[in-house]
Amino acid sequence: MSWDLFIYFGGTSLAIWILGTILLYTLKSRVPAVIAIVAGLLLFSSFIAGLWIFQGHPPLRTMGETRLWYSLFITAVGLATYLHWGYKWIVAYSVLVSGVFIFINILKPEIHFTNLMPALQSVWFVPHVTVYILSYAMLGAATIASVISLFEVKKRGYRLLPLIDNLVSIGLGFLLMGMLMGAIWAKEAWGDYWTWDPKEVWAFITAAAYILYIHARAFKYNNKYALWLLPLCFLFLMITWIGVNYLPAAQGSIHVY
Amino acid sequence: MAGKGERKQKIVVEELLVTSAVLIAGIALQFFIGGYDKRILAFPVNIILFSSIVLVISLSGRAVLARLSSGSLSVILISIFVIASLWMGLVPGNMVKISWPFALLYLLTIINLTAVIIKRLKTVKIRDISFLLNHIGLLVLLLAAGFGSADKSRYFMRVNEGEVEWRGERSGGEKGVVKELPIAVSLSDFILEEYPPKLALVDRATGEALPLDKPHFMESKVGTKWSYQEIKISVDSFEIHPRLAPKAYVSVTGANENPKIEGWVTCGSYFQHHKTLNINDKLCIAMTFPEPQRFISKVEVYTEDGDNREGEILVNHPMTMGPWKIYQHSYDSHMGRDSQWSVFELVYDPWLYIAYFGIICMMAGALTLFWKGGKL
Repeated sequence: MSWDLFIYFGGTSLAIWILGTILLYTLKSRVPAVIAIVAGLLLFSSFIAGLWIFQGHPPLRTMGETRLWYSLFITAVGLATYLHWGYKWIVAYSVLVSGVFIFINILKPEIHFTNLMPALQSVWFVPHVTVYILSYAMLGAATIASVISLFEVKKRGYRLLPLIDNLVSIGLGFLLMGMLMGAIWAKEAWGDYWTWDPKEVWAFITAAAYILYIHARAFKYNNKYALWLLPLCFLFLMITWIGVNYLPAAQGSIHVY
Repeated sequence: MAGKGERKQKIVVEELLVTSAVLIAGIALQFFIGGYDKRILAFPVNIILFSSIVLVISLSGRAVLARLSSGSLSVILISIFVIASLWMGLVPGNMVKISWPFALLYLLTIINLTAVIIKRLKTVKIRDISFLLNHIGLLVLLLAAGFGSADKSRYFMRVNEGEVEWRGERSGGEKGVVKELPIAVSLSDFILEEYPPKLALVDRATGEALPLDKPHFMESKVGTKWSYQEIKISVDSFEIHPRLAPKAYVSVTGANENPKIEGWVTCGSYFQHHKTLNINDKLCIAMTFPEPQRFISKVEVYTEDGDNREGEILVNHPMTMGPWKIYQHSYDSHMGRDSQWSVFELVYDPWLYIAYFGIICMMAGALTLFWKGGKL
């Protein structure tokens, strides 16, 4: 098995996933859709397994190889989230993000060989990033719902609040998972599980702000104030994700790569 | 009902006042005695402090417990944490994390969290499992990372190949001052594996690789071929030997009036000059320095108690010996794969497994968040 075959495996898996997503939205029963997505996952896994055997080491050493795992895990966890919570859009979102990674791997073959520096060659790299991508989706959806809710409150009241609480809890679960796996990885790579590195500071701000929302809801604070927290939380999330590197306080972060 | 609301408001105001008073006391401490030094909490102070917190809260009456474990106090503390960490994230060169107000905020949070858990444990039910995992996990992690950090220490140790070393330089301490450690490392071999170097077509005047908008780097391996405009380049052989720089034999056609130009190209090393292959007045073929793929130190580690262990240490794969973890830190980068020494970072953290316990509880807690959603 080699990268030359990726276009067939990756392309076919993606086609099956897209088909599964369409079936999910069109058919009454979810069984055919789930079967299709699982079949795509198996096909995609077989490519990773083949590459693993062919190379004699787990495919985790190059950018292209880590993208393979993203595609696999995001779709798998997206499907699991759907099976538990019934949000169809999370399947569509996962397949879309997976598809982007598959397309990058097909269209830019040189990145298969772009070497990963030793600190990034870790089993924690992929799950750490994957759960963050999923938490961004959940928390992004919660933010949109909170803005809608704030606009419609006079006409329809807080009908979206239970949905928002769910999305925030699931998103925070993923977010905390990402942080904690990052902590374990940091201990293996840098000798400390928490060093208040700028990216860690912002990840902490974000998590603390969402935890504040959950407590504000648990103690039945004013709904309006609680909902206003969410766009603010999402701003922190965006700063953590993309903004950190531009902040003056963040020069010298170990997370630049 | 109105009376109840009023009482609740009064409690929130009181809690705000108490928290502010504690933080102002922190600012005063900061002003009079300078930054907070975590070493004051070194063992056994940290254990005694936390035991007394648990003891006092367990023995206190219902009214005190209700106050210490109040939800509005939690909300106040989390909010201040958000503000303090925003300060940390926005103001360059700030000292928040080693300041007294922050240390006292941390202490208040530990007290609040302990009280919350003790109160919940008094009436524990099966459905509290999510609550307990999240809160106990966080408390344990805060204890290990905060109170426990006073007992942590880090040292750098440089070990020559074939020698044993037991002295380390304290990280952040004075340069050149070494201390004898209860742990020794002998280095039998240092191995640096490199990715094969790359070859590029370079403009001799500017040193830039072509094409300018998207430089192309060829792999140094037999059979690599690349053509740029009229120029056809192929790699005929590639050799890499110990103590010598990697070199490639390259042949080029279509570069000038000569039908074929060929010769060795090397990136050079500590011992050798680099060598390029000039193919016409403007262009040459050059080799990049190889990038390290992984570096491995083969070591044997001994402790004072007579334990010893043989193994390999590489980035992301430290060696664990009781409360010590030994990390690959650096090597002689001038010498590259011929480095005669390796630098290790030794981290001593007797609280590490407690921190891991907290992390695992919190991970399980995060799963319950995912599973239960908003129905907490």
